[in-house]
Amino acid sequence: MLAEIGLKNIVKEFGKFVAVKGISLDIQDGEFLILVGPSGCGKTTTLNMISGLETPTSGEIIIDNRIVNDIEPGERGLGMVFQDLALFPHMTVYENIAFGLRVRKMREQEIEEKIRLAADAMHILPLLSKRPAQCSGGEAQRVALARTIVNNPSVFLMDEPLSSLDAKLRVDMRTELKGLHERLKATFVYVTHDQAEAMTMADRIVVMNGGLIEQVGGPLDIYDHPSSHFVAGFFGAPTMNFLNGEIVVENGTAIFRCPHIGQPLGTSAAEQLIGENVILGVRSEHIIMKEGSQEGQVRLVEPLGDSSLVFFEYGGKDKLVAKVAPELRFSPGDHVTFEFQADKCHLFSRKDGHRIN
Amino acid sequence: MEGGASISRTEAAQRAQKDASRKRRSWTVIRHAVLIGWASLIMFPIYWMIQTSFKDSGEWVTWPPNWIPEDPTLKNYEQIFSFNVQESGVARQATEQPFNIWGALLDSIIICTSSALIALFMGTFLAYAISRYNVGGKRFRHSVLLIRMIPPIVIAIPLLMYYAIMVPLATDAVLGVRLSLFDTRLGLSLLYITITLPFVIWMMLSFIDEIPYSFEYAARIMGAGRIYTIRKVVLPLVASGMVVTFLFVFILNWAEFLLALTLTHPDVTTLPVLLNKFQSASEGRLYGPQAAIGTIITIPVVIMGILIQKHLIKGFSFGTIRK
Repeated sequence: MLAEIGLKNIVKEFGKFVAVKGISLDIQDGEFLILVGPSGCGKTTTLNMISGLETPTSGEIIIDNRIVNDIEPGERGLGMVFQDLALFPHMTVYENIAFGLRVRKMREQEIEEKIRLAADAMHILPLLSKRPAQCSGGEAQRVALARTIVNNPSVFLMDEPLSSLDAKLRVDMRTELKGLHERLKATFVYVTHDQAEAMTMADRIVVMNGGLIEQVGGPLDIYDHPSSHFVAGFFGAPTMNFLNGEIVVENGTAIFRCPHIGQPLGTSAAEQLIGENVILGVRSEHIIMKEGSQEGQVRLVEPLGDSSLVFFEYGGKDKLVAKVAPELRFSPGDHVTFEFQADKCHLFSRKDGHRIN
Repeated sequence: MEGGASISRTEAAQRAQKDASRKRRSWTVIRHAVLIGWASLIMFPIYWMIQTSFKDSGEWVTWPPNWIPEDPTLKNYEQIFSFNVQESGVARQATEQPFNIWGALLDSIIICTSSALIALFMGTFLAYAISRYNVGGKRFRHSVLLIRMIPPIVIAIPLLMYYAIMVPLATDAVLGVRLSLFDTRLGLSLLYITITLPFVIWMMLSFIDEIPYSFEYAARIMGAGRIYTIRKVVLPLVASGMVVTFLFVFILNWAEFLLALTLTHPDVTTLPVLLNKFQSASEGRLYGPQAAIGTIITIPVVIMGILIQKHLIKGFSFGTIRK
């Protein structure tokens, strides 16, 4: 079975509140697609509509060339891992994994075989007779995955499944999930609010905001060419630096000008934008902290080991942050000169936040 | 000098520690004293009832009271159990009214158990519907208990009217047979189901609300239907709550007096009504036999409590899902 999913003009209203305001999306067979956005952006609602737990107010959901709007969740060929994992506390791990097979009235012998296989794959064989409450966070995670895998779905839906894990385990599980996707070759649709999770695992990322899709693209695509002010600010840590200003012409070249900063713009396209009010965005790693034309004073340094974050003032009301090589030592109070890499500057319209360069 | 200072410092610390532990100890003493006092206040009536049930008639109302029966006797129990059904169908000894304790016990057990079970079954599913589908609207869950604002005595007489007159007339008109709910186990059970249902709904709501939706979602995605999900996931998780609710409702029914008194006589008698029969014009209240019946009424509830202790603790902590 092909596990292609299509969303066509999906709208979901809860009373007066519109959670999803008309989105269209095609998900390829075997793809690892991640829906990412801040809380309340409609990503979980979208996932629930794919699963069938919510019915769209209007629009069509198509799985494997079949409109599934009126088809029960259990008959869509999906598996789902929930944020709280939803392991049944009154059943053993074995019974939890067996649940879906029991529903399908499979023979006991076959059930046992399948459970052994799934448990072996997820390394939870010793846990089978335990209760979910006796499992650690990571173990419970594997049990939830095994319970989904054993039903052999062609689409895996995951709703922030890693959010209850501690930071280190979360990073380990990312790798494991990616490996699982490679192995199963199933379609994964994954919801998270964590941009790092999205960046590391996804084949394609769908950025949602306010019930709409802001951008769809590969992780680096989105990182390098954010289509809006929102996407630019959402991806990357530390957050991209933003400056409000205007494009002017000085000495025949287009320059971004705001109080205390005049930044030449390398692109020729900038010339068409002269006189416009814009937001300039530049990532911390694209600020050069040596021999620049602008002046500033260091306020705070955060060494990360492989790099250091330098927060400095330039005269404007906000601080800027630069990511520099660890060999460059700065201390608070140091006077520095800096410059933005002209070809790495992003320009967004101040009216609607769209990218304009 | 320095050494002296440090010594006095450690002394001060020790003294502070001692003070703190003394404070803690006295707090413990006060707390236990209050708890013991409260417990005795609660337990005293039970103690008084049990010891009165072993007193002979002369001792029931002596002043100063005898705290333990001077001459323990089983007379009261003999009195309430001694009758000869073969002879007169009912006993007519200590009281001026006929009584049959085995009949009353049977009536009470049948009526209370069946109505509590039915109310539990209906209430659980109603609570599920209210919790998951908002049946009756958002405010319904809060107004469920409103029916309990009406004192039973207000509805007792109108109900008598229904039970003894309207229902027989209606069945006569429709079926051609006069069927009465008055003085029947069915009639009393129906009433008990009706008045305890709000409690069941209200209690079960709190248990069902605790189950995360995701459990049911997960089951549905694995292909389970609604009923299968309720049977395999929801009900096992609220089992302790159901046991507690059952016991609560059973005790309400078991001790109900006013409606039973109004709506039954002479065929059906529940234990509280039977207890009330032990008074006579010549001797006044027969405290001994009443205490004996009271003791007997209490025993099944205590036994039940012991049997389902495990569930009680779980259920009363309202933590069905807690890990």
